[in-house]
Amino acid sequence: MDNAIAWVLLFPLIGSTACALLGMVNRKLCYPISVLSMVAATWASVETLFQAVASPTAEVSYIFGGWVLDLFPRGVGIEFRADLLGALIALVVVGVGLIVSMYAKLPVEKETPKKEALYYPLFLLQITGLAGIALTGDAFNLYVLIEVAALTGYGLIAIGSNRAAAATFNYLILGTIGASLYLLGVGYVYIKTGTLNMVGIQEVIATNGLHDSPTMQVAFVLIGLGILIKMAFFPFHAWLPNAYSSAPTTTSCLLAPLVTKVMIYVMIRMVLTVFGVEFSFESTLWSEFMPWLVVIAIVCAAVMALAQREIKKMLAYLIVAEVGYMVGGVWIYNYYGLIGSIFHIISDACMTLCLFLATGIILRACKTTHFDGLRGLFSKMPLTMIGFFVGGFSIIGLPPTCGFFSKWYLITGGMVAERWEYMVVLMFSTMIMVVLFFRLIERIHLAVSESGEDLGKGHGDLGLTKEQTKFEEAPLSMLIPLLLAASIVMIIGIYNQEVVDQIERFLAPFNLPKGTGH
Amino acid sequence: MKWISLIPVFSVGALLLFAAKDFPEWGDPHSPASQSPVSSHFINNTGVDTEVPNMVTAVLADYRGFDTMFETVVVFIAGIAVLAILKGSGRRPRGRHRSYKLEAEPDLIVTYTVRLVVPVIQLFAFYVLAHGHVSPGGGFQGGVVMGASFILIALAWDLDHALVRMSLPRCMVIAAVGIIIYAGIGFLSMFMGGEFLDYAELERLLPVSREMARYYAILGVEIGVGFTVASIMFALYANLSSEGRLKGGL
Repeated sequence: MDNAIAWVLLFPLIGSTACALLGMVNRKLCYPISVLSMVAATWASVETLFQAVASPTAEVSYIFGGWVLDLFPRGVGIEFRADLLGALIALVVVGVGLIVSMYAKLPVEKETPKKEALYYPLFLLQITGLAGIALTGDAFNLYVLIEVAALTGYGLIAIGSNRAAAATFNYLILGTIGASLYLLGVGYVYIKTGTLNMVGIQEVIATNGLHDSPTMQVAFVLIGLGILIKMAFFPFHAWLPNAYSSAPTTTSCLLAPLVTKVMIYVMIRMVLTVFGVEFSFESTLWSEFMPWLVVIAIVCAAVMALAQREIKKMLAYLIVAEVGYMVGGVWIYNYYGLIGSIFHIISDACMTLCLFLATGIILRACKTTHFDGLRGLFSKMPLTMIGFFVGGFSIIGLPPTCGFFSKWYLITGGMVAERWEYMVVLMFSTMIMVVLFFRLIERIHLAVSESGEDLGKGHGDLGLTKEQTKFEEAPLSMLIPLLLAASIVMIIGIYNQEVVDQIERFLAPFNLPKGTGH
Repeated sequence: MKWISLIPVFSVGALLLFAAKDFPEWGDPHSPASQSPVSSHFINNTGVDTEVPNMVTAVLADYRGFDTMFETVVVFIAGIAVLAILKGSGRRPRGRHRSYKLEAEPDLIVTYTVRLVVPVIQLFAFYVLAHGHVSPGGGFQGGVVMGASFILIALAWDLDHALVRMSLPRCMVIAAVGIIIYAGIGFLSMFMGGEFLDYAELERLLPVSREMARYYAILGVEIGVGFTVASIMFALYANLSSEGRLKGGL
């Protein structure tokens, strides 16, 4: 089907208006509508990916409004351009959206009662915005879609409680600053190049030799800074932990795996497609100092994650650390580092999804996500806990989960680029994650309280009554998405070569160094 | 400590000024931006492509119509988000803190003037919306003027008085319908065989040329934008001014 790439966005868009209208008649209609539109969007996204893989140029181009692109540089009309990277990320976005939309029924009913007709439209529009960011080929259209994603994000977080609304305010201020910086940067690029099409900008830079133009350099800094704020890179992360830990369950399940990852995609897109490899790595100093900032970011975020006593907060800081991994993978300026970075976007989205889905179930069952409330959960809900462990093992990077393979490429990249600081910090943070998750596993299986006091009466005794450890698995509408996410983590790990093949095919034309960049 | 925030402000400002010296001269024919055929395409071909005299409208609603659709969606999102956050969370009015009972009757002169002015404002809103093809105007501007007329009613009497005429569910329906009109025109052109928002394909439905089909479709999407903007403007005012309680005046 020719229009598949447009349908990826249009299905959730129609779904959201349908939810808003029909939800007023009957609130119960919203859930099936959202699942249905996500199923359709996933189909369209898979179709787009297959089209991109099948096409000889490895991309699908689609111009809204039926305008032609044979002008040089391109730029009349808005282009959607799904190369393999964009199509893969769009599939991740829509796939995560589908799983979360299946999961949403009970948490939304419970946490935002009587607001379904408002919640689901925002939910679907969030996915519309994020999928659009992955597919668009126009720098200004990207801004509009960032705005769509950001505004729905604020709504989705603040809908929960008053505490969430307060956390959203921070997010709103910082998010707006980030988006404004990006917009300023795009404005500067437009003044200098006269086009907004991403490929068009690259063509103008190459033909006019704008590599040393101060305007372009400043535009690069502004865009980069804006994106770093939006992706919660370490010094700019302040909005993230509170926003994600106080958001309603479904919201954090949707936003945590996607928003930061999609912004890293935007950074890769800007570096490779818009400004070009030569401009980004050779004409700017970013590849010199960014790896060092990444080192600071990862160490601080990992240590802060270690200090948390609450799962959601801990996961939020883990996301900040993971952002550091991926940013580092880009800026070590190496072929393998970029493979790792792109692959890690995909695998991190899956494993974060897994962890947040499981945390949502824990919150529902235990009314708390504090470490002390976890004791005996494995005998109570073994399947949920298996899902949680799979996500955790993937974050640590144990084979055969996908986290192992993406981290493998990141470390390889650090090694062949001889950025030892990056490699060492990856190892260091891996060890911290081992501590984090095995400490949790200990809490779940053993009868040790937070202060180290032994609560049980010896081997295998959890110090709980029979009632408290009775088998009581989560409802199926929540359990199935979790197990689905966990199996996706394993499947991507096992079939990692297929994913990497596509990423390599995407990266082939950019001539990235396979050794040190200099 | 507030002065610390001045540091990033000044550094970003300095950065922007530093870059400004590299800007192309006004009207420099040799700058890459002037040599790019994109803007000259807009200037030369707007009339040929769309029959719309106002270039801005053509770029906004046709060449970059996809952006404008999402800008409309952003307005819609803002309305839903405010409603979602404020619905049910409004603090009950505390006795001495603030009483939402009106102290005085609506002022006679004010209400009488508003009664006279509102129909004119609404008529002007339609004019701005429909005249966007020729003069500055269009869906966003017309919608704002329309929304302002309802806000004026709420200001002159009280919120209840305005909500009788434009209830909140009705606002949300109209806003969603606005999006549906915009996207619907896009879908229609898609089903006629073109790309999404390829208005020219609508010639098969309308008894006009391809160019005039674009012309009328632009009017259509502007109407959709106007619906959404007008209703969300008022919904935002009604929610924010009463902290979600939808009662009382200012």
